[in-house]
Amino acid sequence: MDKRLKINGQIRDFGDQLPPTLSELLKLLHIDQATVVAEVDGRIIPRTAFGQTELKDDAVIELVRFVGGG
Amino acid sequence: MDKLVIAGQEFESRLFIGTGKYASNAIMAQSIEASGTQMVTVALRRVDIDNPNDNLLAAIDRKKYLLLPNTSGARDAAEAVRLARLARAATGIAWVKLEVTPDPYYLLPDGEETLKATAELVKEGFIVLPYINADPILAKKLQDIGTATVMPLAAPIGSNKGIKTRDAIEIIIEQATVPVVVDAGLGAPSHAAEAMEMGADAVLVNTAIAAAADPIAMASAFKLAVAAGRLAYQSGLAAQSHRASASSPLTGFLRSE
Repeated sequence: MDKRLKINGQIRDFGDQLPPTLSELLKLLHIDQATVVAEVDGRIIPRTAFGQTELKDDAVIELVRFVGGG
Repeated sequence: MDKLVIAGQEFESRLFIGTGKYASNAIMAQSIEASGTQMVTVALRRVDIDNPNDNLLAAIDRKKYLLLPNTSGARDAAEAVRLARLARAATGIAWVKLEVTPDPYYLLPDGEETLKATAELVKEGFIVLPYINADPILAKKLQDIGTATVMPLAAPIGSNKGIKTRDAIEIIIEQATVPVVVDAGLGAPSHAAEAMEMGADAVLVNTAIAAAADPIAMASAFKLAVAAGRLAYQSGLAAQSHRASASSPLTGFLRSE
Protein backbone atom coordinates (compact mmCIF):
# COMPACT_ATOMS: atom_id res chain seq x y z
CA MET A 1 0.00 0.00 0.00
CA ASP A 2 1.28 3.47 -0.85
CA LYS A 3 2.58 5.52 2.01
CA ARG A 4 1.48 9.13 1.99
CA LEU A 5 2.12 12.38 3.78
CA LYS A 6 0.11 15.58 3.60
CA ILE A 7 2.62 18.37 3.17
CA ASN A 8 1.51 21.99 3.13
CA GLY A 9 -2.01 20.98 2.25
CA GLN A 10 -1.02 18.58 -0.55
CA ILE A 11 -1.03 14.82 -0.36
CA ARG A 12 2.18 13.26 -1.63
CA ASP A 13 2.80 9.58 -2.32
CA PHE A 14 6.01 7.97 -1.20
CA GLY A 15 5.53 4.46 -2.54
CA ASP A 16 6.59 1.70 -0.19
CA GLN A 17 8.65 3.71 2.21
CA LEU A 18 8.32 7.08 3.87
CA PRO A 19 11.43 9.04 4.69
CA PRO A 20 12.00 7.77 8.23
CA THR A 21 12.43 11.16 9.91
CA LEU A 22 11.50 14.78 9.34
CA SER A 23 15.14 15.52 8.68
CA GLU A 24 15.23 12.92 5.90
CA LEU A 25 12.07 14.35 4.38
CA LEU A 26 13.57 17.85 4.28
CA LYS A 27 16.72 16.51 2.62
CA LEU A 28 14.60 14.71 0.03
CA LEU A 29 12.72 17.95 -0.73
CA HIS A 30 15.94 20.01 -0.82
CA ILE A 31 14.66 22.26 1.92
CA ASP A 32 17.27 24.05 4.00
CA GLN A 33 16.71 22.83 7.57
CA ALA A 34 18.19 25.96 9.08
CA THR A 35 15.46 28.22 7.73
CA VAL A 36 12.33 26.13 8.03
CA VAL A 37 9.84 25.70 10.89
CA ALA A 38 7.86 22.48 11.05
CA GLU A 39 4.60 21.23 12.48
CA VAL A 40 3.77 17.51 12.47
CA ASP A 41 0.16 16.61 13.23
CA GLY A 42 -0.37 20.00 14.83
CA ARG A 43 2.73 19.90 17.04
CA ILE A 44 5.62 22.31 16.48
CA ILE A 45 8.87 20.40 16.16
CA PRO A 46 12.03 22.19 17.38
CA ARG A 47 14.84 22.22 14.85
CA THR A 48 17.04 20.17 17.15
CA ALA A 49 14.47 17.38 17.02
CA PHE A 50 14.13 17.11 13.22
CA GLY A 51 16.43 14.10 13.14
CA GLN A 52 14.53 12.26 15.86
CA THR A 53 11.00 12.98 14.64
CA GLU A 54 9.66 9.81 13.02
CA LEU A 55 7.10 10.16 10.27
CA LYS A 56 4.00 7.98 10.16
CA ASP A 57 1.70 7.23 7.24
CA ASP A 58 -0.88 10.00 6.66
CA ALA A 59 0.94 12.47 8.90
CA VAL A 60 -0.03 16.10 8.32
CA ILE A 61 3.04 18.25 7.95
CA GLU A 62 3.34 22.01 7.70
CA LEU A 63 6.64 23.54 6.62
CA VAL A 64 6.81 27.30 6.96
CA ARG A 65 9.52 29.91 6.66
CA PHE A 66 9.97 33.65 7.02
CA VAL A 67 9.10 35.86 4.07
CA GLY A 68 8.86 39.60 3.57
CA GLY A 69 5.94 41.25 5.28
CA GLY A 70 4.77 44.44 6.94
CA MET B 1 19.70 61.05 23.40
CA ASP B 2 15.95 60.71 22.99
CA LYS B 3 15.65 56.93 23.25
CA LEU B 4 12.57 54.85 22.70
CA VAL B 5 12.20 51.88 25.04
CA ILE B 6 9.93 48.96 24.20
CA ALA B 7 9.84 46.00 26.58
CA GLY B 8 13.19 47.01 27.98
CA GLN B 9 14.81 47.22 24.54
CA GLU B 10 16.26 50.61 23.63
CA PHE B 11 15.85 52.09 20.15
CA GLU B 12 17.52 55.18 18.74
CA SER B 13 15.48 55.02 15.53
CA ARG B 14 11.74 55.62 15.79
CA LEU B 15 11.14 54.21 12.33
CA PHE B 16 10.32 50.52 11.95
CA ILE B 17 10.26 48.97 8.49
CA GLY B 18 8.36 46.13 6.87
CA THR B 19 10.15 43.77 4.50
CA GLY B 20 7.30 43.02 2.10
CA LYS B 21 6.73 44.01 -1.53
CA TYR B 22 10.31 44.87 -2.48
CA ALA B 23 11.36 44.16 -6.04
CA SER B 24 14.33 42.15 -4.76
CA ASN B 25 16.04 41.13 -1.54
CA ALA B 26 18.95 43.38 -2.53
CA ILE B 27 16.75 46.46 -2.81
CA MET B 28 15.08 45.52 0.46
CA ALA B 29 18.43 45.21 2.23
CA GLN B 30 19.63 48.57 0.94
CA SER B 31 16.36 50.25 1.85
CA ILE B 32 16.54 48.88 5.38
CA GLU B 33 20.07 50.25 5.65
CA ALA B 34 19.06 53.67 4.30
CA SER B 35 16.15 53.94 6.72
CA GLY B 36 18.37 53.73 9.79
CA THR B 37 15.85 51.37 11.35
CA GLN B 38 16.72 48.92 14.09
CA MET B 39 13.76 46.56 13.76
CA VAL B 40 12.04 45.00 10.77
CA THR B 41 8.90 42.92 10.48
CA VAL B 42 8.69 39.60 8.66
CA ALA B 43 5.85 37.19 7.91
CA LEU B 44 5.52 33.40 8.01
CA ARG B 45 4.28 31.42 5.03
CA ARG B 46 4.32 27.86 3.77
CA VAL B 47 7.48 26.83 1.99
CA ASP B 48 6.83 26.51 -1.73
CA ILE B 49 7.81 22.87 -2.16
CA ASP B 50 8.55 23.44 -5.83
CA ASN B 51 10.81 26.43 -5.12
CA PRO B 52 12.06 25.80 -1.64
CA ASN B 53 15.14 27.89 -1.24
CA ASP B 54 14.20 31.54 -1.56
CA ASN B 55 15.68 32.76 1.71
CA LEU B 56 14.69 36.19 2.99
CA LEU B 57 16.54 35.89 6.27
CA ALA B 58 19.88 35.63 4.50
CA ALA B 59 19.37 39.19 3.25
CA ILE B 60 18.73 40.65 6.72
CA ASP B 61 21.72 41.29 8.95
CA ARG B 62 20.48 39.90 12.26
CA LYS B 63 23.37 41.58 14.08
CA LYS B 64 22.09 45.02 13.09
CA TYR B 65 18.34 44.57 12.88
CA LEU B 66 15.93 43.00 15.33
CA LEU B 67 13.39 40.72 13.73
CA LEU B 68 9.72 41.27 14.56
CA PRO B 69 7.65 38.36 13.21
CA ASN B 70 4.06 39.25 12.36
CA THR B 71 0.97 37.07 12.36
CA SER B 72 -0.27 38.38 9.02
CA GLY B 73 -2.70 36.00 7.39
CA ALA B 74 -4.35 35.15 10.70
CA ARG B 75 -8.13 35.47 10.51
CA ASP B 76 -8.80 34.75 14.15
CA ALA B 77 -7.05 34.45 17.51
CA ALA B 78 -6.29 30.74 17.10
CA GLU B 79 -4.51 31.25 13.79
CA ALA B 80 -2.56 34.18 15.21
CA VAL B 81 -1.44 32.23 18.28
CA ARG B 82 -0.36 29.32 16.07
CA LEU B 83 1.74 31.65 13.88
CA ALA B 84 3.30 33.33 16.90
CA ARG B 85 4.33 29.96 18.34
CA LEU B 86 5.82 28.89 15.01
CA ALA B 87 7.77 32.13 14.75
CA ARG B 88 9.14 31.70 18.25
CA ALA B 89 10.10 28.10 17.51
CA ALA B 90 12.06 29.31 14.48
CA THR B 91 14.04 32.07 16.12
CA GLY B 92 13.69 31.92 19.86
CA ILE B 93 12.38 35.49 19.60
CA ALA B 94 9.42 36.13 21.87
CA TRP B 95 8.44 39.40 20.18
CA VAL B 96 5.42 39.31 17.91
CA LYS B 97 3.47 41.87 15.90
CA LEU B 98 -0.04 40.59 16.43
CA GLU B 99 -2.14 41.06 13.32
CA VAL B 100 -5.60 39.50 13.04
CA THR B 101 -7.30 40.52 9.80
CA PRO B 102 -10.29 38.42 8.71
CA ASP B 103 -11.28 40.65 5.78
CA PRO B 104 -8.83 40.70 2.88
CA TYR B 105 -10.37 43.73 1.16
CA TYR B 106 -9.66 46.36 3.82
CA LEU B 107 -7.37 44.22 6.03
CA LEU B 108 -8.77 45.91 9.12
CA PRO B 109 -7.83 44.26 12.38
CA ASP B 110 -10.44 42.35 14.41
CA GLY B 111 -10.22 43.93 17.86
CA GLU B 112 -12.08 41.16 19.67
CA GLU B 113 -9.82 38.43 18.26
CA THR B 114 -6.76 40.60 18.90
CA LEU B 115 -7.70 40.92 22.56
CA LYS B 116 -8.31 37.17 22.83
CA ALA B 117 -4.98 36.32 21.17
CA THR B 118 -3.14 38.86 23.33
CA ALA B 119 -4.41 37.29 26.55
CA GLU B 120 -3.13 33.86 25.45
CA LEU B 121 0.19 35.13 24.09
CA VAL B 122 1.00 37.24 27.16
CA LYS B 123 0.31 34.15 29.30
CA GLU B 124 2.82 32.22 27.16
CA GLY B 125 5.48 34.87 27.70
CA PHE B 126 5.31 36.64 24.35
CA ILE B 127 6.09 40.33 23.97
CA VAL B 128 3.04 41.49 22.07
CA LEU B 129 2.87 44.50 19.75
CA PRO B 130 -0.78 44.57 18.66
CA TYR B 131 -1.95 46.09 15.39
CA ILE B 132 -5.34 47.73 15.99
CA ASN B 133 -7.83 50.16 14.62
CA ALA B 134 -7.52 53.55 16.27
CA ASP B 135 -9.81 52.58 19.13
CA PRO B 136 -8.82 54.22 22.43
CA ILE B 137 -10.90 51.81 24.55
CA LEU B 138 -9.34 48.78 22.89
CA ALA B 139 -5.88 50.32 23.22
CA LYS B 140 -6.39 50.75 26.95
CA LYS B 141 -7.65 47.18 27.37
CA LEU B 142 -4.62 45.81 25.53
CA GLN B 143 -2.09 47.83 27.48
CA ASP B 144 -3.82 46.79 30.71
CA ILE B 145 -3.35 43.10 29.91
CA GLY B 146 0.32 43.61 29.18
CA THR B 147 1.11 44.51 25.58
CA ALA B 148 4.47 46.18 24.97
CA THR B 149 2.99 48.84 22.67
CA VAL B 150 -0.24 49.70 20.92
CA MET B 151 -0.10 50.12 17.16
CA PRO B 152 -3.10 52.03 15.78
CA LEU B 153 -3.55 52.31 12.03
CA ALA B 154 -3.48 55.57 10.11
CA ALA B 155 -5.34 54.05 7.14
CA PRO B 156 -5.69 50.56 5.61
CA ILE B 157 -2.50 48.56 5.05
CA GLY B 158 -0.81 49.54 1.80
CA SER B 159 -3.30 52.29 1.02
CA ASN B 160 -0.74 55.10 1.41
CA LYS B 161 -3.61 57.43 2.37
CA GLY B 162 -1.92 59.05 5.37
CA ILE B 163 -3.48 59.69 8.75
CA LYS B 164 -7.24 59.21 8.44
CA THR B 165 -7.71 58.44 12.14
CA ARG B 166 -6.05 61.53 13.57
CA ASP B 167 -8.45 62.46 16.37
CA ALA B 168 -8.62 58.92 17.70
CA ILE B 169 -4.84 58.50 17.55
CA GLU B 170 -4.49 61.75 19.52
CA ILE B 171 -6.68 60.30 22.25
CA ILE B 172 -4.67 57.08 22.30
CA ILE B 173 -1.41 59.04 22.59
CA GLU B 174 -2.89 61.08 25.42
CA GLN B 175 -4.07 58.02 27.37
CA ALA B 176 -1.45 55.36 26.61
CA THR B 177 1.06 54.22 29.19
CA VAL B 178 2.93 52.10 26.61
CA PRO B 179 4.62 53.39 23.45
CA VAL B 180 2.26 54.21 20.59
CA VAL B 181 3.43 53.13 17.14
CA VAL B 182 1.40 54.42 14.20
CA ASP B 183 1.32 51.49 11.81
CA ALA B 184 -0.29 51.10 8.35
CA GLY B 185 -1.42 53.57 5.78
CA LEU B 186 1.43 56.07 6.07
CA GLY B 187 2.19 56.83 2.44
CA ALA B 188 4.62 59.72 2.45
CA PRO B 189 7.36 61.04 4.73
CA SER B 190 5.10 64.00 5.55
CA HIS B 191 2.57 61.54 7.03
CA ALA B 192 5.25 60.02 9.22
CA ALA B 193 6.35 63.49 10.31
CA GLU B 194 2.74 64.33 11.15
CA ALA B 195 2.44 61.22 13.32
CA MET B 196 5.62 62.12 15.18
CA GLU B 197 4.53 65.75 15.62
CA MET B 198 1.34 64.48 17.24
CA GLY B 199 3.45 62.69 19.81
CA ALA B 200 3.54 59.15 18.47
CA ASP B 201 6.52 57.25 19.84
CA ALA B 202 7.35 55.57 16.51
CA VAL B 203 5.92 54.65 13.13
CA LEU B 204 5.94 51.48 11.06
CA VAL B 205 6.18 51.81 7.28
CA ASN B 206 6.31 49.23 4.51
CA THR B 207 4.48 49.92 1.24
CA ALA B 208 5.33 53.63 1.09
CA ILE B 209 8.99 52.67 0.83
CA ALA B 210 8.84 49.34 -1.03
CA ALA B 211 6.50 50.66 -3.72
CA ALA B 212 8.23 54.00 -4.23
CA ALA B 213 9.96 54.59 -7.55
CA ASP B 214 13.27 54.72 -5.65
CA PRO B 215 12.79 52.75 -2.44
CA ILE B 216 16.30 53.34 -1.11
CA ALA B 217 16.00 57.12 -1.41
CA MET B 218 12.48 57.00 -0.01
CA ALA B 219 13.77 55.10 3.02
CA SER B 220 16.21 57.97 3.62
CA ALA B 221 13.37 60.46 3.24
CA PHE B 222 11.36 58.64 5.87
CA LYS B 223 14.35 58.58 8.19
CA LEU B 224 14.66 62.36 7.92
CA ALA B 225 10.91 62.90 8.32
CA VAL B 226 10.67 60.82 11.48
CA ALA B 227 13.63 62.69 12.98
CA ALA B 228 12.13 66.06 11.98
CA GLY B 229 8.72 65.18 13.36
CA ARG B 230 10.14 64.01 16.65
CA LEU B 231 12.30 67.11 17.04
CA ALA B 232 9.30 69.29 16.23
CA TYR B 233 7.23 67.55 18.89
CA GLN B 234 9.97 68.10 21.44
CA SER B 235 10.33 71.74 20.39
CA GLY B 236 6.75 72.63 21.21
CA LEU B 237 4.70 73.51 18.14
CA ALA B 238 3.45 77.10 18.05
CA ALA B 239 -0.29 77.55 18.59
CA GLN B 240 -2.76 77.68 15.72
CA SER B 241 -5.24 80.56 15.40
CA HIS B 242 -8.22 81.33 13.24
CA ARG B 243 -7.30 84.89 12.38
CA ALA B 244 -4.01 86.28 11.19
CA SER B 245 -1.28 87.30 13.60
CA ALA B 246 1.23 89.57 11.86
CA SER B 247 4.82 88.44 11.65
CA SER B 248 6.20 91.95 10.94
CA PRO B 249 5.81 95.00 13.28
CA LEU B 250 2.47 96.81 13.44
CA THR B 251 4.03 100.28 13.86
CA GLY B 252 6.23 102.53 11.77
CA PHE B 253 4.45 101.84 8.50
CA LEU B 254 5.63 104.03 5.61
CA ARG B 255 2.37 105.45 4.34
CA SER B 256 1.09 108.71 2.84
CA GLU B 257 -1.39 109.95 5.51
